[in-house]
Amino acid sequence: MEPQASPLWTTRTTLDRKTGTWRDAIPDYRTLPSPCLGACPVNGHIADWIGHIRKQEYHAAWLVLMDNNPFPAIAGRICHHPCETACNRQYLDESISICALERFVGDMALAKDWSLPSSDLVKKEKVAVVGAGPAGLSAAYQLRRRGLQVTLFESQNQLGGLMRYGIPAYRLEKRVLDGEIQRILDLGVIVEHRPITTQQQLEQLQNSFDAIYLATGAARSKTLPVLDYAKPWVIDSVEFLATTNANKSHPTGQHLIVIGGGSAAMDVARTARRLGKSVTVLTLEPAGHLPAQHTEVEEALEEGIRFVSGAMLQQVNEQTDGLELTCIEVEFTAGYRKGEFTIKPKSGTAFTLKANAIVPSIGQDANYAIWGESFKAQGPILKTGSDWQTEKKGIFAGGDLASMERFVTHAVGMGKQAAAAIAHYLEGQSPTSDEKTVAAVSIDTINTYYYPQQDRIDQQKLPSRQRLQNFDEVQQPLQEVQAEAEAIRCFSCGTCIYCDNCYAYCPDMAITKLEKGYAIKSDYCKGCGLCVAECPTGSIVMQKEYEEITQ
Amino acid sequence: MECIDYQDVDIFHSGHVACAGCVEALSLRVILNIVGQDAVAVVPPSCTAVICGIYPNSALSIPAFHTSLESAAATASGVKRALLAKGKPDTTVLCLAGDGGTYDIGLQSLSSAAERNEDILYICFDNEGYMNTGGQKSSSTPEGAATGSTPLGKTTRKKNLVDIMAAHRVPYITTTSPGHILDMKAKVKKALQIKGTKIIIVLIPCLAGWGVADDAGIKAARMAVDSGIFPLYEVEDGERYTVNQLARTQSVKPYLALQKRYRHISEEQVEQLQIHTDKAWQQLLLRADQQQ
Amino acid sequence: MSYTAKRLLLTGNHAVAWAVKRVRPHVAPLYPITPQTPILEKLTDFQSKGELEGTELLTPESEHSAMAACISASLTGVRVFTATSSQGLLLMHELLHYAAGARARIVLFNVNRTPASPWGFWPDQLDSLSQRDTGWVQLYSESPQESLDTTIQAYRIAELIGVPIMISHDAFYVSHAMEPVEVPSQQQVDEFLPPFACDHFLDPKRGQSFGAPLDQQNWNRSRREMAAAMARVFAAVTDAGKKWGETSGRDYAPLECYRMDGATTVIVTMGSMCGTAREAVDALQDKGNRVGLLKVRLFRPFPVAALKEALAGVSCAIVLDRNFSCGLGGILHQELKAALYGLKPAPKIHGLLSGVGGVNVSVNKIKQWVSEYAGAVPVNESLWVE
Repeated sequence: MEPQASPLWTTRTTLDRKTGTWRDAIPDYRTLPSPCLGACPVNGHIADWIGHIRKQEYHAAWLVLMDNNPFPAIAGRICHHPCETACNRQYLDESISICALERFVGDMALAKDWSLPSSDLVKKEKVAVVGAGPAGLSAAYQLRRRGLQVTLFESQNQLGGLMRYGIPAYRLEKRVLDGEIQRILDLGVIVEHRPITTQQQLEQLQNSFDAIYLATGAARSKTLPVLDYAKPWVIDSVEFLATTNANKSHPTGQHLIVIGGGSAAMDVARTARRLGKSVTVLTLEPAGHLPAQHTEVEEALEEGIRFVSGAMLQQVNEQTDGLELTCIEVEFTAGYRKGEFTIKPKSGTAFTLKANAIVPSIGQDANYAIWGESFKAQGPILKTGSDWQTEKKGIFAGGDLASMERFVTHAVGMGKQAAAAIAHYLEGQSPTSDEKTVAAVSIDTINTYYYPQQDRIDQQKLPSRQRLQNFDEVQQPLQEVQAEAEAIRCFSCGTCIYCDNCYAYCPDMAITKLEKGYAIKSDYCKGCGLCVAECPTGSIVMQKEYEEITQ
Repeated sequence: MECIDYQDVDIFHSGHVACAGCVEALSLRVILNIVGQDAVAVVPPSCTAVICGIYPNSALSIPAFHTSLESAAATASGVKRALLAKGKPDTTVLCLAGDGGTYDIGLQSLSSAAERNEDILYICFDNEGYMNTGGQKSSSTPEGAATGSTPLGKTTRKKNLVDIMAAHRVPYITTTSPGHILDMKAKVKKALQIKGTKIIIVLIPCLAGWGVADDAGIKAARMAVDSGIFPLYEVEDGERYTVNQLARTQSVKPYLALQKRYRHISEEQVEQLQIHTDKAWQQLLLRADQQQ
Repeated sequence: MSYTAKRLLLTGNHAVAWAVKRVRPHVAPLYPITPQTPILEKLTDFQSKGELEGTELLTPESEHSAMAACISASLTGVRVFTATSSQGLLLMHELLHYAAGARARIVLFNVNRTPASPWGFWPDQLDSLSQRDTGWVQLYSESPQESLDTTIQAYRIAELIGVPIMISHDAFYVSHAMEPVEVPSQQQVDEFLPPFACDHFLDPKRGQSFGAPLDQQNWNRSRREMAAAMARVFAAVTDAGKKWGETSGRDYAPLECYRMDGATTVIVTMGSMCGTAREAVDALQDKGNRVGLLKVRLFRPFPVAALKEALAGVSCAIVLDRNFSCGLGGILHQELKAALYGLKPAPKIHGLLSGVGGVNVSVNKIKQWVSEYAGAVPVNESLWVE
């Protein structure tokens, strides 16, 4: 018989004891939406592509960007970047320069002439996209990726919509616009330069296509009742910009007054400055609350544009040496819905402004009445369901035509969503119900210890004196070393970066490293939560294992 | 961010009975992984002794010798001399002791081993009290802290063991924290290169003893360092002082507020603690001849 | 096989140092205390002359630390030696239990000295006897030669059985008294002592840990294993003594029966008093008294069976104790009575507290006590005698 082991010397290890029985919650690895993803109009996987930049995998970053948005170089210049407003880094120091990083990647793709891998998918269904602005082009792109046959209809000579005809070159140079549009066409999109502006033309499309996406924008300028648009000194803003973009000019005189506080008004004002005009911008909204992007207002001020805010035009008098505008200060209250507001003139605050010409830039309306009885009258935009389908089966709509969100990247997002909805529709599937929304990662779950304080790197701007001499791009791109430095500041909220903190900080060695990722040893994890506390990206959540007993 | 970057060797096993979230177990893991398999550990009564395992199970792959509370350093000396006699000078002999077995009842034997410059690596897991016996005070317990034997808060200050052992002219003594693992790793590696008595003090926020949440051990350790209450520094040959983290980024207040053992502390005591901390910090900088 | 031994004039302590030199322990932690210091100093003297190579001499700050180092060194798998006395031995007390429970193969040489308080440096065996519950084997030596010989034999026994052994000799009477001592050769000792070996030791390759806390069942089992080991000690002491006799010409046994054939009265004692008692016995025998001496050399394990056998048929035993356990009396006296319980017929047993505190016990006094107590009615208590 084997002698018993000495009671003085150990014979086994503590692996015999399954301390997993101690816990009531176990860590669960999850990929969660970052706040930037939630705020992004195209739901871009920002943490992912910034992660690629960190590893200098620029092509991989580009592919992630392109999955949701075919215009990274464009968006990196003109997007209103709600991602940066939502960015968790702001709670440590300042948000990440996400927009500039997107531009960096987009520009590299153009410089290196990267093309998309062609899809093997081939579907026989044909889809007509009416309007080659951001929504239409985005939809055409996503539809082609799915293998569908796409014909793009555009009434203008060139594609791009407001991206070409509205946004001035100093914000978005044409070379970039052309490059990113051409890439989409290279996927095999058929382009027809003819308008679809009558009920009959629309019905023809319905006969020859399996689905239609209407994205004709909001081309009709809103008008100020106090102005006589027949006068030569009243110039519609869209016309002003289009003329300048076509390298023609308006006889406007020296001093212009631009009415409006949005991006379009800033585009007009700054374009006018480059034409040598002196410019005053008159806005209803008070200073600091203009709907235009903050940087646009800042740059406009740097370029010598004067702002008169919180006031409205009451009357214009023609005089021998120009115009006299009678104005009054107002109390501005923004309404519940976008675009709505109330104004109350403040008595006794009337004042006058002098000008040679007035360029009202107060917003655009959609015009779906052109298609006659196809759609019944239903308010300022063409109504659609949650799947972007209009009241007419098989006809979908998006962009400024169907939404009050007047931002380019919103249009891109709508085009993407519509393409998915059209694809479902063509497969005979009912629209997918909304996936259960998962809350974005909060700053509370980010362990900021792992991110030393570091100032945000912004793009440099051309000096304002230099800017007014031409239409060269004002915002200068980041250098590669700056892009890397900025990418390192990203918390990668909700997306694991394989830093091994969870593995390294477990007092019980209860986490195994896999080829990529980690697994919890259920036998030994005591549920202490140190891994969750030390996760720098907030990608681990403690999951209760037992039902709470409530009496 | 700077990643920890290591792969465990099979030296410290899961299934040990440390409290959930115990950063002493975590520190043990870090240290043992660097020490490696060619080692013998000496463990006096302490939390580590319990963590190392109840017969017949051991949590360690290396042999551990459970010794009496006073004699960690003497025991280690015996092991080391025996190994030398056997022609095994490279086997690491390390003590894994608590503050009770180091600052108090074990100080005498540690002093003697240090004076003889015995070639041992002495690790003190300093949780500032006799936590294994339920949380009574030790001479490492800081002023104002409530413990099982000082319910109104300890009236005397924490003993400065670094200065005491530096006066023995040990080749290396240093302070470390589980909130600063890269620093801890580097110091263990450095110590293993030195022949003679090496002492590493690890600040261990005790979750139950200090009244800190299960997942807050690392956070507490970082706050202790960031406030200057527990500076990270090294003393070589008893004369060269080096402060490893020169930036103090917070007052003592948030650190104290994190722990239940300071629940009853008054405003005056907090101010007093801040003054003591500031003064000790300035003295340390002077010795180190470093600027903040 | 003939060996070349050398004859030196040595004190008891120096004789021990010579034994240690021959035994060649790998680790010797030592802390000085009167009257043990000459052992330590002789060893450091040997080392400084390069005559103690291979021994790590370690001088920690206290006896407690010395014993701590002994235990861990022993359990690392090497031969260990230490020496102490009185206060030092008492300071080690906690760890004497530890060592025995650990089955450490330590040999400790103790110089019997009065424990404080009050302070004294006098021969008294209370220091070692009060450790009799710790699980150590205890041997008592009456002369420098015996101290040397017993130290060597102790290693053989300790390493065979796996049990710590302490050997004691009296302060000054033996520790500092000089006599001619035969020091065996290195070869003789090397052949007598097998190389150190044990089943379990601290080994990074094996990874077994020592001394982890355990449950009641296993603690109980550890004691039964110690009991089983202790039960083999008597035979091992006898065997080692015989074997040493074969190699040196001096044999030893757990008990020595001196002129006990036909003795009606037997003096029972330990340590240096045996020498005096021997002379008293000779003097009394010369006068026709049938008096003998029973020397107790092995005190732990208490040699019950051998004592019963030795004292069977003896009508009177007079125990001389150079110790006093307050509340009990003379330790040898009381243990002897317990050992002889049930013996029929049992000798009448007297216990005399004869040398407590180191007071001088002369030959005449012993003769006097024999005449006084040989025919007297014994009492239970140990008696104070002048």
